[in-house]
Amino acid sequence: MITEWILDTLIRALAVGTPLLWAALGEIYAERSGVINLGVEGMMILGAFFAFAVAHTSGNPALGLLVAGVVGGASALLHAFLSVTLRANQYVSGLALAMFGLGLAGVLGRGWEGIPLLNTLPEISGLTYLGVVLAVVLWFVLYHTRLGLVIRSTGEAPAAADALGVNVARVRYLAVVFGGILAGIAGGFFSVAYRPSWTEGMTGGTGWIAIAIVIFAGWDPLRAVWGALLFGALYYLSFRLQTWIAPEALRMLPFAFTIVALAATSRRRRGEGAPEALGLPYASGEK
Amino acid sequence: MRWLTLAAVLILVGSLAVTGGAQQKLKAGFIYVGPIGDYGWTHAHDQGRKIAEKMVSGLETLYVESVPEAQAEPFIDKLIQQGARVIFTTSFGFMDGTLAAAKRYPNQIFAHASGFKRAPNMATYMADFYQVYYLNGLMAGALTKSNKVGYVGAFPIPEVKRHIGAFALGVRAVNPRATVHVRWIFEWFKPSAAKEATEALIAEGVDVFAFTEDSPTVVQVAAKRGLPSFSHYSPMQKFAPNHVVSGQLVHWEKIYVDFLSKVVAGKYTTENLQNVDYWWLLAEGAVEVGGDFGVPVSPAWKSKLQAVQVTTLDLGRLSVHDLVMKRLAQMTDPKVTFDPFTGPIRDRKGKLVVPAGKRMTVGELNTMEWAAPGIVGPWPKEP
Repeated sequence: MITEWILDTLIRALAVGTPLLWAALGEIYAERSGVINLGVEGMMILGAFFAFAVAHTSGNPALGLLVAGVVGGASALLHAFLSVTLRANQYVSGLALAMFGLGLAGVLGRGWEGIPLLNTLPEISGLTYLGVVLAVVLWFVLYHTRLGLVIRSTGEAPAAADALGVNVARVRYLAVVFGGILAGIAGGFFSVAYRPSWTEGMTGGTGWIAIAIVIFAGWDPLRAVWGALLFGALYYLSFRLQTWIAPEALRMLPFAFTIVALAATSRRRRGEGAPEALGLPYASGEK
Repeated sequence: MRWLTLAAVLILVGSLAVTGGAQQKLKAGFIYVGPIGDYGWTHAHDQGRKIAEKMVSGLETLYVESVPEAQAEPFIDKLIQQGARVIFTTSFGFMDGTLAAAKRYPNQIFAHASGFKRAPNMATYMADFYQVYYLNGLMAGALTKSNKVGYVGAFPIPEVKRHIGAFALGVRAVNPRATVHVRWIFEWFKPSAAKEATEALIAEGVDVFAFTEDSPTVVQVAAKRGLPSFSHYSPMQKFAPNHVVSGQLVHWEKIYVDFLSKVVAGKYTTENLQNVDYWWLLAEGAVEVGGDFGVPVSPAWKSKLQAVQVTTLDLGRLSVHDLVMKRLAQMTDPKVTFDPFTGPIRDRKGKLVVPAGKRMTVGELNTMEWAAPGIVGPWPKEP
């Protein structure tokens, strides 16, 4: 009985956590380079639509995910251009991207709703395991390689990095686009694996939860794994436990966790907080 | 020459104006709560709008989608500025906004779906599923092996409670030992919530599913485990051809065409709508039983339903398939010789809620909070 509960919950945690993890990992890299991208939801929904459209047309869901990554990356490029090159307000640009993505996917998706997808990917697939492997690799790169040092330095002290010969703009561009690719794939997971079909707004706010997990995880890829799994487990349990606990209270469970987690991480040790230059545009030669 | 040209232009413009006046079109505006691509409630209204546009001559339509429930009024203003003479608002939450607009625009006609407030220039309308859910319940009761039937509910409001209640009455009519396990997701459209709620029900041994949520999620999740389900609102049979047994389908166009034709004919005016309330069911053709149009029972499940025999008080011993068809015929009959909410009915606590021989009124159905026997799980606001 109890093992069944644990096994059920673990499987659901992995399924719900997979897109959260992918999106959060991408966002961690973008933010580590100093660019906050609130457009995760928009990039995800574009990924979801294109993954479905390509998977349906070609019959190949993996190809759909690939295209979702490209589309996510391309939409992130827009955010990078606005916030890095034009030095626009990153929060405004990100929110605009979220709305733009939802709107564009809605328009493009007209007529695609109500079509079943014949070839789908299993829910717990390579994407889940790859996500965990990716988290380990990204953690290693971030803390134990020169590349990681470069990325972190552009997020912590872009002027110093610049003085040391780092091309801050280029690093930020690459990090933001990388984040977009992962968000696009995360969105694609919804439409070809988690619930194989297209419906407007089908990512249902997952992008925002991913951003919360980034903060909860203290911008650490390994901790993002636990954040995503914990949210996934609590989300499932919020329905499973309805027989015993009032559903109104359970509704808040996964989200209350997020708030508690945010509060808990505010008492963090040195070096675990947000990147110092997060959200600040940088121009070479300026103080 | 110049005069001639001017005269020609004047005649042309004049004739255009005349023909324009002669073919004066009726413009109807629709306020939708969700995106038309939701494949659920709003999608179904939009299908109705498109069919009405084809069927009512001279009708032109406008629509706004994804309107927040508190913001109906500014969008109504906009549609009226664009020339709309009839406004349909298609969500319960638009009720007060619509009523306020109806007072501000006494020369326009309003119709509000699923509400209960009316005015001389504001009617109400609803195509309700409770009879269809009862038929689905009959089938579910026959098909469950674990005697646990599942229901993923959107919000614990009277409309959804009525549907679960009718469904549970159907289940119990053929299988008195079966229970209906309910999970609430507090969203009309939230595929991830519908999915995890279904997974939770599967983990508890549920093996047949019905639901209220605007996506085919529950159908897809159940089918993956090889379990039967009943599709909701749109034709979802194609998402799981071997697992969708039946479902609920709507024909909003029946109401839209009827209403707009009467506006065109001058039968409905801005002064006589105070008592116009469309409460359209199977008999009016506004709803249909099935996972796809014209398919009340999936061929894949027909023989299984024919194999289960039940005894009824009024029809004697017959198969569940035949019982479904008989009840469907009785409710499609204009005289409606059968209704699921006919007393005596006790709620799950044992209290008599519908006296023997009485049928629940539309008003009672619209405010129903009690849980039917066999329902298991949380029931907020249970009396």
